[in-house]
Amino acid sequence: MNETVLSSDVMQQTYIVVPAYNENACIEKVIHELRLTRANVVVVDDGSTDETYYTARREATYVLRHVLNRGQGAALQTGIEFSLSRGAQFIVTFDADGQHQVEDIPRLLQPIYRGECDVCLGSRFLGESIGIPWVRKMTLRLGVFFTRISSGVKLTDAHNGLRAFSREAARQICITLDGMAHASELIDIISNAGLIYQEVPVSIRYTKRSLTKGQSPWNAFRIVFDYLLSRTSK
Amino acid sequence: MNNFQVVAIIGLTLLSGATVVAHLRHWMRRGACFFWCGLWIAVGGACLWPNKMSSLAHFLGIGRGADLVSYCGVVAMLVGFWMVYIRLLRLRREVTLMVRRLAILEAQRTYESRGHSQDDRVEPKDEPIS
Repeated sequence: MNETVLSSDVMQQTYIVVPAYNENACIEKVIHELRLTRANVVVVDDGSTDETYYTARREATYVLRHVLNRGQGAALQTGIEFSLSRGAQFIVTFDADGQHQVEDIPRLLQPIYRGECDVCLGSRFLGESIGIPWVRKMTLRLGVFFTRISSGVKLTDAHNGLRAFSREAARQICITLDGMAHASELIDIISNAGLIYQEVPVSIRYTKRSLTKGQSPWNAFRIVFDYLLSRTSK
Repeated sequence: MNNFQVVAIIGLTLLSGATVVAHLRHWMRRGACFFWCGLWIAVGGACLWPNKMSSLAHFLGIGRGADLVSYCGVVAMLVGFWMVYIRLLRLRREVTLMVRRLAILEAQRTYESRGHSQDDRVEPKDEPIS
């Protein structure tokens, strides 16, 4: 692990955006672990009906609240815009359900810090995915195939929530799809803007809770529908 | 003119009148007013001269005038659903923009009032990972 990336200077310029919806059960632990990196933790509470907002306020550097539930894509864009307004030089997106590993963040930041790329995308299929059900694995593989056809971008994992952006790359990102289809839109934006990207192996640890909260395979159809519709309605 | 035609023409005339009033009260744009009035006139024409519809249907290779009306109705309904759906999507995007703006403004106000700048962050309680 490169110590330069973990230096306080770099990490203080890093903003970790955590979109959260009804994650009171695990948000405290996730934020606590993220704060150990010395980065700024920006939690975007997406209109939770539980205590997520108040729990996050005790731990996170910044907490934003959507007064209405708008979806993960919308929450991410809010967090990215806020981070840019605070002067973020590096932005990391991180899921609130605890399936991502904090130790992967420096690995994502390293190539951007070294100027090798603008965007780093985490890949569970290059890394390790513990406890992944085969149905989800198949769905994600289909997602990769779909992204390859629709965007022409060759990735091994198109819907991983762990990503890192340089400031310049984040400024070019404008997510308009509020729901889970934002992941495909993001790949389109990266491709259309000509941003240099890299895939980095990351670990995903599926728990009973993250699987319960996660997307069902049937939702994949809705994601595809939303994505295709967005291409016709812009 | 049979009874159905009388009722249909009265109804369509009222609809056309309501459309024009809606435009005059600035509830509807001129283009939309022309579109809807044109549609009511076309429906009225189809009611008044069904034989002409049959001729048109025959010319288009559909067969019966009633079938032509049904097909046009189905197509118009699908286009209508699509337009409403697109409008709904735009509305949802506008709601999201508003929610986002509120969230960012509220956060900026909160953290500015606390003097919470980059140089004055709350430091983490534990040692950094290595």
